[in-house]
Amino acid sequence: MPVHFGYTISKPRAIDIDHNNLRKSDEILREMPELQTCIGCGACTAVCTAGNLTQFNFRKVHTLVRRGEYQGAYEEMNKCMLCGKCRLVCPRGINTRGVVMLIKRKLGDF
Amino acid sequence: MSFYAPFCLPFIIGAVVMFATILWKWGSWLYRLPHADKMRILRGLPTTRTLSAAWEVVRESLLHRRIFRVNPLLGYMHMSLAFGWFLLIAVGWIETVAYLGFRFVPLQGHVFFKYFATGLEHKPVFDFLMDLLLLFVLSGVALAWGKRLYSRAMGMRRTTKHVLGDRIALSALWFIFPARLVAESLTCALYGGGGFLTGSIGAWMAGHIDAGVLIYLESAAWWIYSSCLGLFFVALPFSRYMHIFTEIPLIFLRHYGLRSSEKESAYDHFQIEACSRCGICIDPCQLQSVLQINDVQSVYFLRDRRYHSLRLQTADNCLMCGRCAERCPVGIDLNTLRLNSRDTMRNVPDEKRYDYLQGVDRSSGTGKVGYFAGCMTLLTPRILLAMERIFKASGEEVWWADKEGGVCCGRPLMLSGETDSALKMIQYNTELFRKHGITTLVTSCPICLRVFREEYRLDGIEVLHHSEYLLRLMRSGRLNVTHGAERFTYHDPCELGRGSGIYDEPRAVIEAIGELLEPAETREHALCCGSSVANTAISDGQQLQLARSVAAELDATGASTIVTACPLCKKAIARGTQTEVRDLAEIVAEHLQ
Ligand code: SF4
Ligand code: SF4
Ligand code: SF4
Ligand code: SF4
Repeated sequence: MPVHFGYTISKPRAIDIDHNNLRKSDEILREMPELQTCIGCGACTAVCTAGNLTQFNFRKVHTLVRRGEYQGAYEEMNKCMLCGKCRLVCPRGINTRGVVMLIKRKLGDF
Repeated sequence: MSFYAPFCLPFIIGAVVMFATILWKWGSWLYRLPHADKMRILRGLPTTRTLSAAWEVVRESLLHRRIFRVNPLLGYMHMSLAFGWFLLIAVGWIETVAYLGFRFVPLQGHVFFKYFATGLEHKPVFDFLMDLLLLFVLSGVALAWGKRLYSRAMGMRRTTKHVLGDRIALSALWFIFPARLVAESLTCALYGGGGFLTGSIGAWMAGHIDAGVLIYLESAAWWIYSSCLGLFFVALPFSRYMHIFTEIPLIFLRHYGLRSSEKESAYDHFQIEACSRCGICIDPCQLQSVLQINDVQSVYFLRDRRYHSLRLQTADNCLMCGRCAERCPVGIDLNTLRLNSRDTMRNVPDEKRYDYLQGVDRSSGTGKVGYFAGCMTLLTPRILLAMERIFKASGEEVWWADKEGGVCCGRPLMLSGETDSALKMIQYNTELFRKHGITTLVTSCPICLRVFREEYRLDGIEVLHHSEYLLRLMRSGRLNVTHGAERFTYHDPCELGRGSGIYDEPRAVIEAIGELLEPAETREHALCCGSSVANTAISDGQQLQLARSVAAELDATGASTIVTACPLCKKAIARGTQTEVRDLAEIVAEHLQ
């Protein structure tokens, strides 16, 4: 029987940027250019109030959205409680709550 | 005696348009009020509230007492225009009665009485009184002109940038009284009479201008006066001057207990159109003074909302610090209006959104006292540890609601306009508190405190901020601290001070430990740390700029430690200074006996 240490690991997957429609992603980055400075450190996810209670992973969702993977992003972002912890820990000073609301606004129909 | 001349026409048309529009506006707003609000009005009407409302109308709409407190010169300017004009109308009415007895005189007969009354024997008392009042109003107009040139004399660094409609109305208003002076003087020049002002100018004119010319000039002057009035009246309901007639019902409705809420309602119109765009709210806004953002302040927010041109960016760019509302002479509930705009623009309820909360309970410990750290305290573990030591030292049995991670209080969601979703959190936490049977709820986060007190239904559970709780422990002798020579300064968190009215408790706690030095702007006027969760528009760099400016003011006191009572303020201010920044709980824990 496999031992559970309480960690999960994302399955390997390939994203084909050439085939993805980046229009929404471009729009989002135009309104929030600072998101491009994300170094993917995951601090936002480590402190996340919602991520503490469920599988919601803020870094993963906004990274996928930037790569043009919009499926389910709106529902995922809706799990966020907008508490603002992520903004306080982000080493790049990204306006993360703004990112959550922007992604929800842009991807409401995906 | 007839009371009609062709020049009255612009005035009559203007007055009809104005009164019709105002009645239509008032009527439709009142009609669209929610049923509960209508009942409040009906119940309040026959009570003494009506009288106190009437008294406030005199104090504020006529005398402008609150503006006097901002700046005496500015107050005088507003008072001379409003009260002076009111007296001109009132005394003018008495004057017609004195001349003609109680008989019907049409509106224009009162307004242009000097023109029509030339055949009557003069009553010098009224000539004098009316001239005196005209001079009073003219002094206000002169000050208004002066304010355009040099606003600092009236304590305002920046004044409102006006829209076209306002400029038309403003120009008309500026010329009404000078035009009246000239018209009345010309009539006096032709027919005699008049007081020290119009009479003397009239006599001078009679001596210098040919009588044939005077007749033409007189007719032209009355036309101009009437046109200025007409133009002003037509523009009034569509410009900022609508505030003259909106503040009055607003004061009454407020006395009957009507309030704005997280959802837009017809009552909001009374608040929005009661804004005179005086611009007093601009100077206190740190987004303006520190960041030079000039188009989001309350005056512009209300203007845009009124003309249906509000953009999300404007609604979003506000710290909700409440510094502007504190100064607003009309007492408009600025933060609530901005909140319900955000609600309208963004609220997308999603029933399944927080389904994952079901069955979550990570609380620990047992006790009648519950402690809710809140997200921000969980990010500042020193505060949490300090609270732990304090509870232990005082022998309090504590139930920890969220030490191992919990659910947000819901206030950040509300501040972002997601009101309906926030209800899920409110429901979840309420059930959690009830399940564990606590009777006291302590939190060290003012953001949580505010939503607990205002939105949660926690009957039977006393909600305390840790500053109140700490003071209570100290006063009852359960917690003893050592007093030393250390010098502290205190930063009032917006949500705790202006938001919840808690100013004295944290200060009392600090004074039990050391010396307290007040910064330049303190208590109701305290600055915002700049990292407010209400603002999702400004960047990290801008937050840092705000933090530095706040920290500079705190550092200027010469204190060795900056104390605050909010985990978010603590984190924000610490970024802007080298001085140590501590939470109230930390300094208490350090000075335990
Ligand atoms: S604001 Fe949202 S994403 Fe950020 S920590 Fe809170 S719950 Fe997580
Ligand atoms: S904390 Fe900031 S930099 Fe790190 S992953 Fe999150 S958004 Fe990117
Ligand atoms: S909101 Fe208040 S302070 Fe600001 S312009 Fe309007 S009336 Fe003046
Ligand atoms: S609440 Fe604060 S940030 Fe918002 S407009 Fe008023 S003073 Fe400016």
